[in-house]
This record gives sequence, structure tokens and C-alpha cells, in this order.
Amino acid sequence: MMSQEPVVRIKGVSKRIGRRTLIDKLDLEIPSGQVYGFLGPNGAGKTTTIRMMVGLMSISEGDIYIGQSSVREDFEGAMKQIGAIVENPEMYKFLTGYQNLLHYARMSPGVTKERIDEVIHRVGLSNRIHEKVKTYSLGMRQRLGVAQAILHRPKLLVLDEPTNGLDPQGIRELRDYLRELAHTEGTTVFVSSHLLSEMELMCDTVAVIKQGKLVDVKVLKTGEETEQQAETAFEVDKPEEAAALLGTGAVDGGSVIITADKEGIAEINARLVAGGIRVYGISKRTRSLEDQFLEMTGGGQIG
Amino acid sequence: MANFFKLLKNENMKIYRRLRTWIMMGLVVIIPALVAVLMAVSTGGDTEIGAWDAFTNLTSLFFLVSIFSAIIFADIVASEFTWGTIKLLLIRPWKRSKVLLSKLLAGLIFSLLLTLIFIVVNWALSFLLFKNISTPGVYPAGYSPFSFNLEMLLYRYVDMVIICIFAFMLSTLFRSSGIAIGLAIFLLFAGNILQALLRPEKYAWTKYVLFTNMNLSRYMIGDGSAAGMTLGFSVAVLSVYVIVFLAVSWIVFMRRDVAA
Repeated sequence: MMSQEPVVRIKGVSKRIGRRTLIDKLDLEIPSGQVYGFLGPNGAGKTTTIRMMVGLMSISEGDIYIGQSSVREDFEGAMKQIGAIVENPEMYKFLTGYQNLLHYARMSPGVTKERIDEVIHRVGLSNRIHEKVKTYSLGMRQRLGVAQAILHRPKLLVLDEPTNGLDPQGIRELRDYLRELAHTEGTTVFVSSHLLSEMELMCDTVAVIKQGKLVDVKVLKTGEETEQQAETAFEVDKPEEAAALLGTGAVDGGSVIITADKEGIAEINARLVAGGIRVYGISKRTRSLEDQFLEMTGGGQIG
Repeated sequence: MANFFKLLKNENMKIYRRLRTWIMMGLVVIIPALVAVLMAVSTGGDTEIGAWDAFTNLTSLFFLVSIFSAIIFADIVASEFTWGTIKLLLIRPWKRSKVLLSKLLAGLIFSLLLTLIFIVVNWALSFLLFKNISTPGVYPAGYSPFSFNLEMLLYRYVDMVIICIFAFMLSTLFRSSGIAIGLAIFLLFAGNILQALLRPEKYAWTKYVLFTNMNLSRYMIGDGSAAGMTLGFSVAVLSVYVIVFLAVSWIVFMRRDVAA
């Protein structure tokens, strides 16, 4: 499903304003067909990177390639492949939703009237599209924002903090929609956020940035989790005895923590039960992205 | 080029889909109508003022067209920043220079349209309300009433375009419609005062000041040729100012980082 050619190549990109370095020689490749998260504390340079990617900010050093097109050398070629919402999707409030879409459709080659209707239907705005945007709720504006971003069937969809100001239902809709886009249409989605739990649910891969530098790239959805060794907590009545019986494991409150794979867990459970220990619960202790994130960026000062 | 036409269509949509624009156009019709009726009533009959004289008098209301056009120019870039829509406008496969050009052209089209409305309305009012067409001795030698008014309007239009392009530059510089509108209207009204104060006969350098060269209509009646200034000289100086205003707009708009 995924082709090997990365959709975005960020090559040694720096952004300097005066003496301050906001982004420091950033290198990043975004593979196609994924929901790719861009995570970092406030002020880490997420928005700056995204703005350089879509041409809203100039690049001080290095270059960004969208497919084969350089943002610096072939701006129009690069932008044809990108759809984006940078922060809140601001619309012309005195125009109707349809007129707003028409406005952006005119700016991209090959967007037909049928395509506009298809997109409107897709984001579920058919009933209100001919009303002025000033009558829209934030959720509806967000949908219109997604609509304008996907009108020209971009290879890459860039979203900067898309869940800001959305209610839980809106967040969920957006998340489902983005995953669907990536997995059924092969659109690569690059999404920045500081909401860790959201990123965990939404993304296949997450790049972590701190003070303008790439800290780590984590693959979240491998599909092989069950085969891996994982920290597992056995909640039992007598944790010390259980640990002694197994000859391994750390006691943590009412639980014994043991690292084991799928088969190992079943075996340990059988030994505990056979040893006369009552097992109340078995749960995998996956460290949340939040823990990992805080570990990586921990205690950083705002640069 | 057909594609560039689409950009222009977008800018036009953003001008003419706003109520404000229609109010301005309405005022350009209503205010001259009121003044014309007042003129007709106060003179009591059609013996004193000829239709062309009335037309010439009404032309002094051209400042309405100037103000409204300046407002559109002052707003056309700044409002995109105020609304935040600039973030969605500049991420399309269009170079910034072309986006800015489409805005400049849309503004010029609006100013032309407003000028045409103004001329047609004034002409209709003059010839409806004032019957006596020929009044001799009102216009300078060598001008027919028609050619005099046409040339006068042309010079007023030139003044307006200069003010509008000044407003356009301020709009891109400050990203604030308020500052741009305020300064442009100040220029419009302070221009005459400054023109009176800065005497090129006394200080040679004032020959190159913007205000001294505006209001080209004074060359029609042989005034203003002080200190060797001619129509050609003023046109040259004004052209330089317009080019500088446009260059500043382009450079600033092309280089600006769109942050928060």
C-alpha cells in the first residue's frame, strides 16, 4: 500500500529571525500514505516548520521538497500537491460556504464543479453550504476548512493544531476522517499537535521536536504489538508470594510486574493459579506516549 | 493568462459580495443627486446655470470616488491579514507577486467602475435638471465644455490613483486597514493645504514633493508653472512616486513571513 518514495523531504532546514534560531538544521522524511504526527511542546518550532513547508515563511537555510518539487525553487509545483489548514481555518465570513470553496477551487487547476459538490457531500455540509459562513459553528468551519484543503486532491494534507477549539465529537470526527483519507485514498497527512493522547489515537508515526531540533521518530502502529515483549501487571492477592513463586518480577502495590510475550503471559497465569494465588487482573503496561514524550522533552526550558 | 483571470474573479467576488461596496456605490449616486437638486432649487430657474456648468460644479464631488476607492485599496491586502484568510490564500499554487497583482487590478477596476458611475450620474443629472446648455465665457480659451470636463476628470482620476496606490502600499506595509485608510484620506485633504504652503518659487526642492505635483488640472489654466514646473515635469515626478509605492508594496509582500 505504501510506496517507498517519501512525500516530504525536509533537508537541513533552518529558520533564523534576527539572532534567534527557531529551527536548527532539521532533517525529516515523511513516508507516503501515513498519518504522520509532529509533536512538541509549545515554542518547539512545529508551526514554524509547517509554515515554511507551505510557503508562509521563508526558509533561511536548506530546502523542503514536496514530491520532486522544491518549495524554494518551484513553489507553484510544490503547492499543487499540498492542502493545508494552518491553525484555525479562517474563512471569508461575508461569503457563503460554497463561495468560499469556489474561491479556493479557482486557485487550483482542475477542480470541477462536480468535485466541489463531492467534497461538500463528503464533509457533510450539503444542507448549509449556501449559507453565509458567519452563521456557521466552529465545527462547521472546521469541516469547511477540511473541504478547502482536499478540493484539489492533494498528495499531502498538512494540518496545524487541527483539534484546537473542537469539542470531543468534533475531534473524533476529524480523527476518523483523517485516518480514512490516509488509508483509503493514500493521502499523506502531516498533523502537528501538543495533544498527546490525540496524536496517539490518530497517527501511525510521530516525530518529536524540541527547541527546533528533531528528538525522536516513533512508530506507533506496527500491528506486531502482540508479538512483542511487554511489561505486564498481574493483580494478585499476595504479590510478594507470587514474585517468589515465579522467581522474577517486581512488586508494585497489589501487582507483580513481569516482562513477557503473549504466550509467556498465559504460562505465568497458569503457574500463579496452580500455586494457589488468586489472579484478579492482567493488564499490559504500555507506557503512554505522554510518558515517553515527557521523558524525551522533559523539563526543557523555553528556548 | 486565462488562469490569472480566475484570481481576478476571486478578488472581484470579495469586493462585490460585500454590502459595504454597494453602500459606497449608492452614495456616489445619492449625494450628487441631492447636491444637484439643491443647486436647481436654489438657483430658482434654469437661466443662470447651464447644464455643462452644473456638470463642472458636480465634478468637485469627485472626492467621494477618491475616498471610496482609497478605502477598497487600503483594505484589499490588510483585510486578508485581519481575517486570517491570508494563510489560506498564499498556500495555493500561485506566486505571491501574482496574488498581489490581482488585488491591484481588482482595485483599479473598482475605481474605474465607480468613476464611470459618477460621470454617468452627474451627466444625467446635469442635463435633466439644467436645460440651458450653452453658457459662453466660462471655460478657458481653446476648450469646449466637453473637452474641459473630460480633461479635468482625467486629472482627478490620476490624483485618485496616486492616493489609492499610496493606500495600497500602506495596506501591505502595516497590514491594518485603519492606518491605511486614515493616512490615505489625510493625504487626500492635506494635499491641497501642503500644496499651498510649499512654494517651489521659494524652495527649489519642493518641486519634487508629491503634493506639489498633484492636482494637474492647474496646468490647464496656466497656473502652477512656477519655478519652471510643467505638466510633463509633474507627470514624471508622479510616475516616480507611483513606481516607488508599487515597488515597496511588492518587496514587502513578497518577503513577509506570515506568522501568527
